[in-house]
Amino acid sequence: MTRVRPPAAPDVLKRPRPSRWVWPWMLAGAVSLGAVLLALLGYLGSGVAGGEVAWGELLTESMWNPSGGVFGGLAMIYGSAVVCLIALVLAVPVSWAAAVAVSEYLPPRVAGILRTSVELLAAVPSIVYGLIGIMVVRPLIAGAAGVPGGDSLLAAGLVLAVMIMPTMVAVSVDALAAVPGRYREAAYAMGLTRREVVRSAVLPLARSGMRAAVLLGLARALGEAIAVFLVVGRADGRLPGSFGELLDSLVRPGQTLTTKLAGPEPVLAGTSGPWFAAVCALGLVLLALVALATVWGNRGGGRKATGGRSRHPQAGRMRVPLDRAVGGLRIAALLLPGALLVGMLGILAVRGSSAFTPSFWVTPATGAAGGGVSDQILGTLLLVVTTGLISLPLGFGAGILLGLYAKARTAKVLQTLTVVVGGTPTILLGLAGFVIFCTLMGWGRSWLAGALVLVPVVVPMVALPTCGRVRSMPPETTEAALALGLSRAQYVRSVVVPYTWPATLTGLLLGLARAAGETAPLLFTATVFFGAPALPDGVVEAPVQALPTHIFTLSQDSGDPQAVAQAWGSAMVLVLITAVLLSAAVALRNRFEGERWTT
Amino acid sequence: MDHVISARDLRVRDRAKTLVGPVTFSLEHGSTTGLCGPSGAGKSTVLRALVDLLPAGLTRDGELEVQGRPIAPGKGDADLRTKVVLVPQTPVVFGGSILDNALFGLRHLLRASREVMLERAEQALLEAGLWQEVKDRLGESAQTLSAGQRQRLCLGRALALEPAALLLDEPTSALDERSRDTVEESVAALRGRRTVLLVSHDPAQVERLCDRTVLLRPPAAVEPLAVAAAS
Repeated sequence: MTRVRPPAAPDVLKRPRPSRWVWPWMLAGAVSLGAVLLALLGYLGSGVAGGEVAWGELLTESMWNPSGGVFGGLAMIYGSAVVCLIALVLAVPVSWAAAVAVSEYLPPRVAGILRTSVELLAAVPSIVYGLIGIMVVRPLIAGAAGVPGGDSLLAAGLVLAVMIMPTMVAVSVDALAAVPGRYREAAYAMGLTRREVVRSAVLPLARSGMRAAVLLGLARALGEAIAVFLVVGRADGRLPGSFGELLDSLVRPGQTLTTKLAGPEPVLAGTSGPWFAAVCALGLVLLALVALATVWGNRGGGRKATGGRSRHPQAGRMRVPLDRAVGGLRIAALLLPGALLVGMLGILAVRGSSAFTPSFWVTPATGAAGGGVSDQILGTLLLVVTTGLISLPLGFGAGILLGLYAKARTAKVLQTLTVVVGGTPTILLGLAGFVIFCTLMGWGRSWLAGALVLVPVVVPMVALPTCGRVRSMPPETTEAALALGLSRAQYVRSVVVPYTWPATLTGLLLGLARAAGETAPLLFTATVFFGAPALPDGVVEAPVQALPTHIFTLSQDSGDPQAVAQAWGSAMVLVLITAVLLSAAVALRNRFEGERWTT
Repeated sequence: MDHVISARDLRVRDRAKTLVGPVTFSLEHGSTTGLCGPSGAGKSTVLRALVDLLPAGLTRDGELEVQGRPIAPGKGDADLRTKVVLVPQTPVVFGGSILDNALFGLRHLLRASREVMLERAEQALLEAGLWQEVKDRLGESAQTLSAGQRQRLCLGRALALEPAALLLDEPTSALDERSRDTVEESVAALRGRRTVLLVSHDPAQVERLCDRTVLLRPPAAVEPLAVAAAS
């Protein structure tokens, strides 16, 4: 018989666990974010320093000829600008109107469903948009403009418009929903029509959030490599000289900053010399542009109470008819995103129907484009799970640190840093990872390098919601906990962490949904099209196959019907996987997010 | 037409369940009427029912006439709400200056020169008892006002619409004692000139400010229980 020990008398004055791990944990998260940015800048900076960059030439010369030693980036900057401009011009009005319709016009139940589907669309991997671009948009433009192939700046702009629209609608709806209901009530109570309420009471408060939506969309469009890569044509040195040429250039192939970096050149250029330096300089330009858009978009909504600017040209008569007309237009604005959603899912489901046969999920690929995709699914899952395991503690720690010390100056700097890391074009992450892990550390293509490269994509998506949740904690909770004599670290462990985890988990799932669809950073670092075992053994020279790479490679072979069918099937599988991750995230969020009062 | 608003057997329902009422009353022109009742009886809900601003899912029942014109349930529109203006319990101040706020509703209804608009704003703020305090800083942000001043600003911007009736929802419940007195003074000054329906849980306040009182009982379904408990 074992002796039963009598329970020890509780020693009240002795703290059971000092929770010393809390500080290192939170700091590790913050440091990891800094490290990513440093690594990125180090990679680009050392590249630029390794060979003299003629910045003047880079920014004003349109010709790019590595063998002749001419490195002009103007045509690429022009390409990026045009592509983003087309995307914004098409997407902004529709997204804003659709967001107002969802938030202010539709009954809450319908609006809730739409919000969820918009978020689903926002999480569709860009490779899927690229695939739709190749198979649907390109032929359309080829037919309409009479240009062979249809690879063009316009095609890229259209694909980007469709791609950023859901993000912009989702962020705008959030901004509108954050306007307290009492403002609407007060305005309705003054006899304002719905249009006037939206314009005078709701939009002024949601304006900064809706502007942020546009800048986030712009950052995403600027940094997108793969979807553009597939449809832009990648022709160097195209710069129009006149207005007529400008219009014509829209339906001709072009090159953007990201597609140049996603092509073979960063690898061909070696690791030093003028060619590599010029490529790195392009990367720096891209990073600076995206960082600018992201930081600006995330600037806190400092609402200034400015007087003046109160034009109300339509006062008096015609209020009610005008109200009806505008309401109708806003609801109609939903048709486009709605049709896109239905159309995209329809195309995916019909052409990717092979994804609905179970054998497609469980048999390995045979030959170039036959069999199933079980290896690719396993590879994707391996990457996603590894990334998740690394990102969760780092993002959670960084988020709590940011949230708790929000007022301190360092926390502000850290938050900007997080936002910038989150907005970094993934192609740059891939290139830096390629140099650091695959070349310098000698891993070659390795699944671990791929997982590590995806970590910076996920960490901010975990850290920022966590931080927001911490800040929304009622101050009384904090006071009550500290009044009970808890140390700071104990307070974090037993009050903050339990309160925050749903937000953290939602962020993680959304981040992983995005990581699962990332293609650009994996192409150089971790994945191969075929010839890798289903699960790698070891780390060095241990690549995997993954769904995004599979789709990317197959979709470039658009002449082969079997390859095309396989690409669609894989895309459907990828969408299903992200949809599962996303619905888990939405379900979680709905559980802890309180109800909203809509009119 | 001596009744600005008359309601007969007004109820608010959630599908078949009666949440508020029935209540019958009419507001005479120029009178101040108090709407009293125990908390939970639905006083604020009655005000919202009168201008069709009920939360989603709730419906109004019974007869309602505004200036002799019947208003069918759910048919209250912006035009109705410019005639019968509700001032919510917590003062809501919009972005922009004090003047912007005072003209918030009016500038949607009236197209007039700057002078006319300024004049209307001045009249309204005078009537709300705020003019003396803000006349030198109309361009300042309305966020700089105190709670009592904000409530009077809300009252003023409602008065600027020249409404046929004003519905005040517990205008002083969110205020401290001194601000309460200033707001009460402003409401008292409206007596005889404006038609006001004032919701209040404070019988003394209703005594001070109102010509007559309407009592709102909890719905009949609840009453037998209360009677049983009393006996």
